[in-house]
Formats: sequence, structure tokens, C-alpha cells
Amino acid sequence: MDLKTAVDVSASALRAQSLRMRLIAENLANADSVARTPGGEPYRRRVASFASAVDRASGAAGVRVDGIESDPTPFQRKYNPGSPAADAKGYVQMPNVNGLVETADMKAAQRAYEANLGAIETARALTMRTLDLLK
Amino acid sequence: MSIGALDAAAAYGRVFDLKKAAPPPAVETSVVPPAAGGFGGMIEAMVTETATSLRAAETASARQVAGKGDLVDVATAMGAAEVALDTMVAVRDRVVSAYAEIMRMQI
Repeated sequence: MDLKTAVDVSASALRAQSLRMRLIAENLANADSVARTPGGEPYRRRVASFASAVDRASGAAGVRVDGIESDPTPFQRKYNPGSPAADAKGYVQMPNVNGLVETADMKAAQRAYEANLGAIETARALTMRTLDLLK
Repeated sequence: MSIGALDAAAAYGRVFDLKKAAPPPAVETSVVPPAAGGFGGMIEAMVTETATSLRAAETASARQVAGKGDLVDVATAMGAAEVALDTMVAVRDRVVSAYAEIMRMQI
């Protein structure tokens, strides 16, 4: 039944968006994670890329997480000679996590998740309305 | 139910068809043997299907409680089980009401 397939497709999107949300949480949590050794690399921001995945049985195109990649943008440098991660000149490499970017990304993930929840709700309501024909 | 009479007529028609299709028994017996794949078979298939989806929903929620599951899986499995159960109950209600309609009929 196509309405059930629609629910399955939306469920795959919910899973994908929740993984995106997890990555955003990881990025935000590690916004201050620096290396333990002088001049070492700090936490590198990670992003998920999505791809459509066709389900053989139903022919419906759901979504799946294609991969989790590291953000190649350069790290920020901060002068903090007291840190164990400081190099010879006293600079510490800070993660390339930008709070504003993460907040905007989180908003987008939230909107996408809510849109798919709405799709599931509508599909279920339509199923129930159809079932009411029998009563 | 307003369409009860129609149901009864349809049920009568089906019984008539069944009798016509069945080969004439050598000895006329008062009990008609249940036709395979008839009403009983249909209900049985529906019940089996419903039980399967209910069990899937139960497994998913048990996994979730144990902390190993996925909330999305629980929600979708529960939804599928709900739809299956509601469909089965609706069909059963319809059939039972048709049967009651026939029983009330004056002969």
C-alpha cells in the first residue's frame, strides 16, 4: 500500500535527520576540544551527506546517510600560552566549529524533521479516513 | 447500519454461487462442508497478518525499553499494527452485522 510506503520513506528521512542532529550536537559539544600535545590537531567539524536510496521491494526512494565527512576548513588560532596544546609561539589551534553555523544547521535539521513528521501524520490520517469507509 | 440489507443480499448471492460451483454431492447432507479459502480462511489470514504486525510492534517497543531500539522504528511499527488491527476489526464488524441481518430475516 502506497500510504504505508510513504510512512516508511518519511521514517527513513527521520532517521537521517536525527543522525544529522547527532553530528551537530557532537560539533557543538566539541567546540572547545583541543589537542593534548603542543601544536596538535584539535577536533575537526563533521558533516553528514545524504543520498537517495531506492527500496527494491516497493520502488520508493527513501534517504540514507551516504557518509560522514570532516570539514576541511582551516582551524582557528588562538593565543593562549598557558594551554598544554600551545605551540612554541603560544598559539593553540581551535576546532573549526562555528556556533552560528551549527545553530543555523540545527534549525534546518529541526525543520526537515518536523516536515517529515507532518508527512507521516497526514499519511496516517488518510489511512484512517479510508478505513472509516468500512465502518 | 443502512447498508445491512445490501450486505445480506450479497452474502446470499455468494452462498448461491458457492452451491452452484460445488459439484453436486451424491447424498444430500444437511451440513455444507466449509469451503477452503472461504470466509474462515479470509479471517484467519487477516488475524495472522495482524498478529504478525502486533508482534513486530511489541518487539520494537521492547528493544526501545531495553535501550537498544530506535524510536522511529517503534512509532512506525505501532502505526502499522494499529492500521492492521483496525482493518481487521472493521471487516469483522461488517461481516457480523451482515450475519445478524440474515438471522433476523423472516423466512
